[in-house]
Amino acid sequence: MDVLTVTALRKRFGPVEAVDGVSFTVGAGEAVALLGPNGAGKTTTLHMVLGLTRPDSGTVEMFGHDMTRDRARALARANFAASYLHLPAVLRVEEVLTVYAHLYALRRPAVRVAEMLELLEIGHLRRQRFARLSSGQQTRVLLAKALLNDPGLLILDEPTANLDPDAADRIRRLLAEQAARSGRAMLITSHNMREVERMCDRVHFVSGGRIVATGSAAELAGAYGVDDLEAVFLRVARGGGPA
Amino acid sequence: MTVAYDVASGAARRRRVAGIVRRDVYALHRNGGRLLDIFFWPVLELVIWGFVTAFLRANNVPIAVSMLLGAVLLWHAVARAQAELAMVFMQDVWSRNLLNVFAGPISLGEFLAGHVIFVAGLVTASTAVLSTLALLLYGIGVTTIGPAAVPFLVVLTGMGWGLGIIAIGIVIRFGEGTQSVAWVLAAAFQPFAAVFYPVAVLPPVAQAIAWAVPASHVFEGLRGLLAGHGIDWAGLATAAALDVALLAGAVAFLAHALRHARRTGRLSKFGE
Repeated sequence: MDVLTVTALRKRFGPVEAVDGVSFTVGAGEAVALLGPNGAGKTTTLHMVLGLTRPDSGTVEMFGHDMTRDRARALARANFAASYLHLPAVLRVEEVLTVYAHLYALRRPAVRVAEMLELLEIGHLRRQRFARLSSGQQTRVLLAKALLNDPGLLILDEPTANLDPDAADRIRRLLAEQAARSGRAMLITSHNMREVERMCDRVHFVSGGRIVATGSAAELAGAYGVDDLEAVFLRVARGGGPA
Repeated sequence: MTVAYDVASGAARRRRVAGIVRRDVYALHRNGGRLLDIFFWPVLELVIWGFVTAFLRANNVPIAVSMLLGAVLLWHAVARAQAELAMVFMQDVWSRNLLNVFAGPISLGEFLAGHVIFVAGLVTASTAVLSTLALLLYGIGVTTIGPAAVPFLVVLTGMGWGLGIIAIGIVIRFGEGTQSVAWVLAAAFQPFAAVFYPVAVLPPVAQAIAWAVPASHVFEGLRGLLAGHGIDWAGLATAAALDVALLAGAVAFLAHALRHARRTGRLSKFGE
């Protein structure tokens, strides 16, 4: 069953066609990546999926709920983290998570916050203000926030952009383990091709607001006659097509 | 058992509103500098107007004219409610947290309700502190006005909320560059609010504007009360009706601004 169905999304900003007829699905337990160069329309697509930007046309259905009509019911079962977003700077880590545990109407906020502090290995930071954390620590707190409601769909925009390779690797393992255990679906954008190869079942390459190629990492590499996803990325970004 | 309440249940709605209140309380607790805005500057203003009032009373100016300190205390409710509502919203903008909030299940009504509850508590606390101080220093306070002080303060706080919601709407509609509006919107209405002088001294066009401002009815009522005319219930009812209209208009404008921001992609810009 698909947890997310995106159909013919379009968005124009002035003369720029930011998203031009994008359609894709994310099935339960599936990890799907949106890849593409800067300005390809990935983040605009994610923001339309989350209801932050309204599409000019097209539809988004999340858990069977139409996002324009039943946004709250859909978003209660999803969550989101982005490397470019922060959390209230002056609040302590524990306070930030407590606030979001309430915003997602969790039954036992304190218990769930304690679980997330342990899961993300940030218990020792609970009394630190968010602004005083390193970028790697902030990413962990953002992910703790994103996992608070045990989402059926986790949407991640450049989740490991601010992390060193070791920290990024730990986060990827954690997310993959969590997804495997809970059957969680993930929709991810990333510029780290290794990350996508390891984490995602399916990849959509976006260029000029359109999906120009779809498949698993291995299928795409085969179709483009190259060794890996990074080479596919370079071909797509430079306007090349399949072999 | 699922980890969360059903999204449309009363328990879930209360929890989301409580989440916003908690955010505001934590942010206030962690930012001592804001106490300057909430208490220090108003106390400074109170001291200045307190001496002016004491001087006028020493020169036998009628209390209905000389009650500047009472007017300052009441206007404080409008200014504080407006500024604090704008402040708690701007904190989310400055910390790039706004998209995290709006990417969740919270509704605009719940978001506003949480902030409004917090601001109501803050205005009550700061008005109580200022009034107590005024009573101790000058023998005049909100209590001097009598029981009418309660509806006066409710109406004025409601006007502050309305202006605060409009200020938030302006920032969402036109972008972060307009945030200065958030700090001056209440002050822009002060000339028409008859705080220190009666509406009658204004030119006819300004009078027409003044009668559409809820606060002007309160301050005219205050002067009448101090002159011994009793509580002007009709004036208070008019002020309350204007408040309701202002709040309804403000919420409608904010909802429009949010729709516009979603349509133009401006909402996403708050994450940059």
